[in-house]
Amino acid sequence: MKTRGVFAAAALVLLLAAPRFLERGTLNDIWNVAFAVILASAWNLLGGFAGQVSIGYSAFIGIGAYTTVLLSLAGWHPYATLPVSAFLSAAFSVIVGLPTFRLRGPYFTIATIGVSEAVRVVAAGVAFTGGSSGLRMPAGSFDFQRDYSAMVVLAVLVVALAAWIQASPFGQALRAIRQDIDAAEAVGVHSTKYKVLVHALSAALVALAGSLFAINFQYISPNSVFDFRLSLSIVLMPIVGGLGTVAGPVLGALLFGYLQIKLLSSPALRDSYLFLYGGMLIAVMLFEPRGLLGLYRRVRGRITRSFSRPVPDAG
Amino acid sequence: MPADAILGVEGLIKRYEGLLALSGVTFSVARGEIFGVIGPNGAGKTTLFSCLVGSVQPNSGIVRFRGERIERLPNHAIVARGLVRTHQIVRPFRDMTVRENVSVGAHFGRARLRGAEAGRRVGEILEKTGLVRKAEVLAGTLTIGELKRLEIARALATGPEVLCLDEVMGGLNPSEIVDAMKLIRSIRESGVTVLMIEHHVHAVVGVSDRILVLNFGLKIAEGKPMEVVRHPEVISAYLGEEAV
Amino acid sequence: MNEIITVLVNSLLAAGLYATMSYGLAVIYGVMRIINLAHAGILMLGAYATLTLNSRLGMDPFLSLVVVIPVFFGFGVLLYLTMIRRLPRSSGGPSIESLLLLFGVWLVLQNLAYAIWTGDTQSILTRYTMKSVVLLGVRVGIPTVAVFSVSALSLVVLQLVLRRTYLGRAIRAVTQNRDAAMIAGVNADRISAAAFGIGTAFAASAGSMLATMYAFTPDFGRSFLLKSFCIIVLAGMESVAGVAAGAFVLALLENFVGGYTTLPTSFQDALSFTLLVLALVAFPQGLVGAFSRATQRWRRLGRA
Repeated sequence: MKTRGVFAAAALVLLLAAPRFLERGTLNDIWNVAFAVILASAWNLLGGFAGQVSIGYSAFIGIGAYTTVLLSLAGWHPYATLPVSAFLSAAFSVIVGLPTFRLRGPYFTIATIGVSEAVRVVAAGVAFTGGSSGLRMPAGSFDFQRDYSAMVVLAVLVVALAAWIQASPFGQALRAIRQDIDAAEAVGVHSTKYKVLVHALSAALVALAGSLFAINFQYISPNSVFDFRLSLSIVLMPIVGGLGTVAGPVLGALLFGYLQIKLLSSPALRDSYLFLYGGMLIAVMLFEPRGLLGLYRRVRGRITRSFSRPVPDAG
Repeated sequence: MPADAILGVEGLIKRYEGLLALSGVTFSVARGEIFGVIGPNGAGKTTLFSCLVGSVQPNSGIVRFRGERIERLPNHAIVARGLVRTHQIVRPFRDMTVRENVSVGAHFGRARLRGAEAGRRVGEILEKTGLVRKAEVLAGTLTIGELKRLEIARALATGPEVLCLDEVMGGLNPSEIVDAMKLIRSIRESGVTVLMIEHHVHAVVGVSDRILVLNFGLKIAEGKPMEVVRHPEVISAYLGEEAV
Repeated sequence: MNEIITVLVNSLLAAGLYATMSYGLAVIYGVMRIINLAHAGILMLGAYATLTLNSRLGMDPFLSLVVVIPVFFGFGVLLYLTMIRRLPRSSGGPSIESLLLLFGVWLVLQNLAYAIWTGDTQSILTRYTMKSVVLLGVRVGIPTVAVFSVSALSLVVLQLVLRRTYLGRAIRAVTQNRDAAMIAGVNADRISAAAFGIGTAFAASAGSMLATMYAFTPDFGRSFLLKSFCIIVLAGMESVAGVAAGAFVLALLENFVGGYTTLPTSFQDALSFTLLVLALVAFPQGLVGAFSRATQRWRRLGRA
């Protein structure tokens, strides 16, 4: 645990110092990966640790982004809006969670598809989102350096938080819920309370990322924050990386961050991202439901076994 | 309900889709007792336990635990008050180690232990249930006998006052049954009241202070083990089952 | 009074199609306890298949069903044999793995449609697309009436198949109790393959018929997927009649809201999502609870 803390601190220092020796393009890539790491790790708290797969997470990015833009337009300092984003998103997650968490497994997932469709429809229809023409941040609020630092710090914090939760009794309760919710209740785990709690926590973190997203891009619209590719990758990154682990979502975020860069630079690939994403999902579910991390462990296990196999006794 | 009763049940009714699983069951359990519940298949024994701990809501009736009415409380809230059950069909957390399984009970039951205190308690229980050597093994790899003991260990770790054991001897070999009976007695000696469902009459007669007999959701007898097994209705219920 | 008849007639006509598309989902869930998220993709692909048959060969959209149904039956069986069968069977409810696997299939199907037909909005025009008739004093489009007739016919045929043939009886047996059916000698693997084929064929034929009424893109189908879920949750899934009743209830609600309120159309679509969430929450055990209730009702009827 201690060595991991040292490692995290070193990574943070290195990332914060990066603007001194890396060029802007590379920093942009790091920003993108950090954004992806936050989304993937935060989603994994509910979807991986507690096993409640939600397809409705773009709503929380939207709440974060719109809170920040609207309050900034009302004269707030952009960073002063962050706590409000987190709070509103958590509150919305509780409103959605209380009824839908009565549902189990796939039924919960289907309800979240319904909720996300309803949010999308409403967001496109109400006036304050700026409709299809979108909203622009007030002039002078853009500072890449500052947004970069905030995103990197948040990413490292979210991963550290995930590691801490995994080792805590809270994380144990979530794992118990994922494996057998009735058995968890039977030994005293208040499953609804913990599901609502972890949903709120992960919704707040995703909203923070949405706020920083809005500050960096300066312009948002229902199409940009509820982008299908974005809401798809939130779910896919942790699944492809390794559900319910700390390293899995980070691995998935790195992979998807890299893919995102490749997709943007190659039109042929951009047109077939659904093939790519769908294909990955199918491959993971059929061959290694524990994702890349599971694959790595299996391969490592096989290699260790083949080296340590006892020599047959001649006598 | 008698003064020394820790658990009292009055007129408990549970219906499933027109089928009456419990039709007005009444009994009470004294503090420190080992209380057996027997009856043929489908008599409503497991439904009774489910209603007691709140994993199933009864249609009507009263359950009093330490004087408090609990029949409308959810499962986790009843565990927090000190009434816990094991499952006939074992339900381990398969991807956790045996030690982790037991510590979930210690962390979230009535005891709500944390840190070193929880670790110590889990160690004691693993010792008592004979699972020490398997502590770091994934629960999914245990044998049926070990899984039954894990069910007991996890429930004990919650720090219950009343422990409901649902067929913990089913599927065990004769020497394991002897060990299980010893374990149940030692649990009672540590101050825990025990309710136990057993399908096999011999085991339960040997260890219980009193026995309740259910048939088709109805209480047909209650009392001292040797008296109950001679009760004509009990004999006909069991013979009737064998004749089918 | 007139308005009420309008709502009733429109609802009834819509319900036929809704029942057809929902049954595609219901039969797969019933036999395999799998929620087919690729349902929307198959609806969409059915629409494009009909479009191609219509524009290349000049085939009438309704005649195209003769090709669409067997082709998609084969496609469903293929999906089952190559993918679904490889998943570990979950004992209780549907597994999250099967849900995500079929979600992946949906994405791939969408991309396939983009690659073949581009993302442009498509629609099918026939001689009768704009024509209408008067039914019970209500003016309705010819395609709507035709879609209803074909849907009703397919449901009647389905009912006969389920009642009279070995395959139908085996499907019903596996739906009610897989283990008991297997003990009785039913080859559950083959029945599952057939059910997946039937479900896929029903979804695709619903897509073909939708194409005569709506414009579509590769994104098409999502709201119909949610409507199908909603109907199944409302109605249970044992009987064809139950699914039809659920379809009618949803269509009635939609037409009622559309006819008597001034909500924008996009919000009307949100109705089925809201209803879906409410219906799911009202049956906390999810579809299984609704399913067992439906089974009980059906058994009691059988005894009477």
